[in-house]
Amino acid sequence: MPTVVVMDVSLSMTRPVSLEGSEEYQRKHLAAHGLTMLFEHMATNYKLEFTALVVFSSLWELMVPFTRDYNTLQEALSNMDDYDKTCLESALVGVCNIVQQEWGGAIPCQVVLVTDGCLGIGRGSLRHSLATHNQRSESNRFPLPFPFPSKLYIMCMANLEELQSTDSLDCLERLIDLNNGEGQIFTIDGPLCLKNVQSMFGKLIDLAYTPFHAILKCGHLTADVQVFPRPEPFVVDEEIDPIPKVINTDLEIVGFIDIADISSPPVLSRHLVLPIALNKEGDEVGTGITDDNEDENSANQIAGKIPNFCVLLHGSLKVEGMVAIVQLGPEWHGMLYSQADSKKKSNLMMSLFEPGPEPLPWLGKMAQLGPISDAKENPYGEDDNKSPFPLQPKNKRSYAQNVTVWIKPSGLQTDVQKILRNARKLPEKTQTFYKELNRLRKAALAFGFLDLLKGVADMLERECTLLPDTAHPDAAFQLTHAAKQLKLASTGASEYAAYDHNVTPLQTDFSGSSTERL
Amino acid sequence: MKIFSESHKTVFVVDHCPYMAESCRQHVEFDMLVKNRTQGIIPLAPISKSLWTCSVESSMEYCRIMYDIFPFKKLVNFIVSDSGAHVLNSWTQEDQNLQELMAALAAVGPPNPRADPECCSILHGLVAAVETLCKITEYQHEARTLLMENAERVGNRGRIICITNAKSDSHVRMLEDCVQETIHEHNKLAANSDHLMQIQRCELVLIHTYPVGEDSLVSDRPKKELSAVLTSEVHSVRAGRHLATKLNTLVQQHFDLASTTITNIPMKEEQHANTSANYDVELLHHKDAHVDFLKSGDTHLGGSSREGPFKETVTLKWCTPRTNHIELHYCTGAYRISPVDVNSRPSSCLTNFLLNGRSVLLEQPRKSGSKVISHMLSSHGGEIFLHVLSSSRSILEDPPSISEGCGGRVTDYRITDFGEFMRENRLTPFLDPRYKIDGSLEVPLERAKDQLEKHTRYWPMIISQTTIFNMQAVVPLASVIVKESLTEEDVLNCQKTIYNLVDMERKNDPLPISTVGTRGKGPKRDEQYRIMWNELETLVRAHINNSEKHQRVLECLMACRSKPPEEEERKKRGRKREDKEDKSEKAVKDYEQEKSWQDSERLKGILERGKEELAESEIIKDSPDSPEPPNKKPLVEIDETPPVEKSKGPVSLLSLWSNRINTANSRKHQEFAGRLNSVNNRAELYQHLKEENGMETTENGKASRQ
Repeated sequence: MPTVVVMDVSLSMTRPVSLEGSEEYQRKHLAAHGLTMLFEHMATNYKLEFTALVVFSSLWELMVPFTRDYNTLQEALSNMDDYDKTCLESALVGVCNIVQQEWGGAIPCQVVLVTDGCLGIGRGSLRHSLATHNQRSESNRFPLPFPFPSKLYIMCMANLEELQSTDSLDCLERLIDLNNGEGQIFTIDGPLCLKNVQSMFGKLIDLAYTPFHAILKCGHLTADVQVFPRPEPFVVDEEIDPIPKVINTDLEIVGFIDIADISSPPVLSRHLVLPIALNKEGDEVGTGITDDNEDENSANQIAGKIPNFCVLLHGSLKVEGMVAIVQLGPEWHGMLYSQADSKKKSNLMMSLFEPGPEPLPWLGKMAQLGPISDAKENPYGEDDNKSPFPLQPKNKRSYAQNVTVWIKPSGLQTDVQKILRNARKLPEKTQTFYKELNRLRKAALAFGFLDLLKGVADMLERECTLLPDTAHPDAAFQLTHAAKQLKLASTGASEYAAYDHNVTPLQTDFSGSSTERL
Repeated sequence: MKIFSESHKTVFVVDHCPYMAESCRQHVEFDMLVKNRTQGIIPLAPISKSLWTCSVESSMEYCRIMYDIFPFKKLVNFIVSDSGAHVLNSWTQEDQNLQELMAALAAVGPPNPRADPECCSILHGLVAAVETLCKITEYQHEARTLLMENAERVGNRGRIICITNAKSDSHVRMLEDCVQETIHEHNKLAANSDHLMQIQRCELVLIHTYPVGEDSLVSDRPKKELSAVLTSEVHSVRAGRHLATKLNTLVQQHFDLASTTITNIPMKEEQHANTSANYDVELLHHKDAHVDFLKSGDTHLGGSSREGPFKETVTLKWCTPRTNHIELHYCTGAYRISPVDVNSRPSSCLTNFLLNGRSVLLEQPRKSGSKVISHMLSSHGGEIFLHVLSSSRSILEDPPSISEGCGGRVTDYRITDFGEFMRENRLTPFLDPRYKIDGSLEVPLERAKDQLEKHTRYWPMIISQTTIFNMQAVVPLASVIVKESLTEEDVLNCQKTIYNLVDMERKNDPLPISTVGTRGKGPKRDEQYRIMWNELETLVRAHINNSEKHQRVLECLMACRSKPPEEEERKKRGRKREDKEDKSEKAVKDYEQEKSWQDSERLKGILERGKEELAESEIIKDSPDSPEPPNKKPLVEIDETPPVEKSKGPVSLLSLWSNRINTANSRKHQEFAGRLNSVNNRAELYQHLKEENGMETTENGKASRQ
């Protein structure tokens, strides 16, 4: 998930830090030091993260748009000027705009706010913003909660005591609360110095920027992988199941399914699965992303020549047009597939389904999926021309079962017309005539719409009188019979108005000499 | 996201008292005469629905939409009330469909206008509604059982939708008080019961309906808290289509629905088959399908008033599908749909098109020229879903290609073989429960994992790492040996495969041994066979614990691969590698060390090649074209050669070792009949092959002979 670093460049950030040593530091130097550490970490361990840099005082400015070029970000850090007062709200509005323009409203972002805990004065100060929070209209809504999934990390260039001496900490905590509790405040432990700033940023890195390493398994075939971006914990139901689910570090393939069968399933998130070579200490040697470092390059080259299961899997998934179903945890699954971008590059990608026993209705319960060899006959057919998917639901939906809806007059008219049209083509259309007649009868009985039955009976009787001389004699018999049956049903008397009863065609015989009727 | 919110349980209470038989006074023309037959005929008088009919069909429409979009976990209990309460169905999932409700309603029939109005009341129904809300649903039961000591986390909330004809505002208040009291009473009862649950929240939606043209005696009232448990709202609605519209609005509110209108659907005209006009179809679905629009505030897509959010619809443009090309779209959500006007011709055309298996991409109409595909309509197993496709910039753009990463420079992966492996390990649903031998429930997915484990015990990833998987001749064995259990026929096929390999070796057929990473021509032919046999043994050994039949395949393999002594002798001429061979044989024992074996094997191959090149000039060159060496025995004789015990010639380390193992093993089982009955240490092996019916095992064979 992309990161926006929001850096306070108000005058208060130039306050000197008293140090025993000879050199004099300002708070902004400490901030820049911490951010440098963060950027360096990302450049080596979190290379694919997009980061933007925003500076703010009473105004805000996008210094570096979203980029993976950490040198540019680093340079921008050293080229910051000092400005006037802190005005947090406008900066947060700026963040909203920047993120929405770039990523829309669905992609989670991390906002790293670096400030000294001086929250400004007068209009535009955080205190003012919070005090007026309840008096806002839709047009000048407070920017929190962010209109996208987010984490707000507030890095204070101050220690806890300093913040607690004013109401700064309370205000900042309100900010996190306003962001639905998504985020955290970091303060410097002990005196303000480079070392303690480092340890504070170290905590942020541990919390939000440690790469997610896992082992991809398919039986005995395994590969060490990095999953990027890190899969976030997921809460299924905050009432029943309030504990966030975290994905396993063992990603176990359980089987394979054709792309046509899995059929563009909805997913929570998508992640790159990058094979990594781990050295003995368990440190990552390289993810294969090109780097200037020469040592790493040669390590990469060696790693490139050792067969890796990810590459094999990717190749076969791509060629066969299949996905691998992977177990992420108890009752949590995902899929692995080959994803190609426009430039002929392709990659192993993992998508996470929503946790639960049945994430995709058309596959049924995941636990009920088993190997085809257990089936009596291959459900895919000997020539691979069939598929056991999709599963059919027990009940059809209304649009698949010809329900009767008469809310609009046109619905009723169409159904009556159908009967009439078939009535005029008796006896050829006897079956359809009675089918439509029975459908109307059933619905009229269920809705207690007995007047309609009487009306349609009258109509059929009239049709009988309008029959041309050339008409088949059976037509008259059937019309009279049908009209009589509807009339009987319209009395509502239980013996004639049973829902499950169907009006059947009158048994007539015009073929022989006898016109025997049953 | 709460499963057990108010919308988990909906109780419909519909008034069945005599006054509901009154006409709604909205006429329906049903006798629409077809042109050119109209002369002289006066159409039949229009008819009108009763208040009851309007109430029932509107509530059925509410249920239709709800069942379409939430076929599970959203339940309806239908109650009609007159001189008593008639509960038409239960909370069970089987009762949750329109057909059941329609049949039950038909059984009730329309209200009797001549019944005594004094005996009839909606109160009976409301009391029954509260009672039914206390009843536990199967989902609540399941969740409670699952949570055990945290069972109290499972909520019990519900909604009562009451359609009646009230007399006045005070009458309405009386109904509310009654519900309030009844909840209070029943909660007391439920507190002392295991089968009932206390109602935590109840939403009462009172709908007063009256004939069109009359004045309403009841005033609308927005939602109001009557107590901590009960909220109530009052809607005063004219009957007929007004009531239907109201319930349509309510179902959208209650289930968080939103509306999308698909526009520009090309459809053939009934009258002029060669022209097509464009139609619009309105669909309902969960509002999360619009999450992108809601957040980014793209108000130009639909209406803009905040007051009437349920009149809004998002318009999306149909994109005619070009091909049936199967693609995996990045889809962030899929939501079931229900057409607003299910029976209209445009709706049914669209739904039938989708049910036939086609998917339709939907485009956001933008003022600027850019085309943004944001949604897709697609059916899965007779259900239509609106898929939300991601249209924003991807955070994963421009990723490193897999060829740049670990293993990316290796070019001889067994892609096709692994493809075949994936096909064999495809999944299929097993809907009926299966049981293991010990009676416990068998989880099909665990079976799938077991199969993957078996199939990958020995699975070299690259072509140059394997010989046997590059040989067509090995396929019959390799494809069955991974199975959990073998049939007699499988064993036979494996044995045939092994004999066939022996035959190949005898004929000195070339093997597809990789020469990657080696100098010169690669290993000698007999060295190649040795590598092949070792690899085959690794494969078979990985499975010997599967069954006794697997063991038999290994026995056969071990028997056949040990060469007649003179041949061994000939091979060893000029070479001294016994020590190394011994080492490698031991390594083979454990298939998990398979990798280290392969590496050492290849290393050794490289080392030895140097020595062999020296010796090469002395040895008869074998190539596929060279004639069979005269000293090799025909296949039949090999069959007759006692496989383990050698009577003549120098003894190799292998035979020493296998002799020792065999002696050790022989103490643990009865001696084979063949060996006991052998003459001069010679016995005809596999006698049962010649007999008509394949016997189960050799031991059985012995027993029968005794």
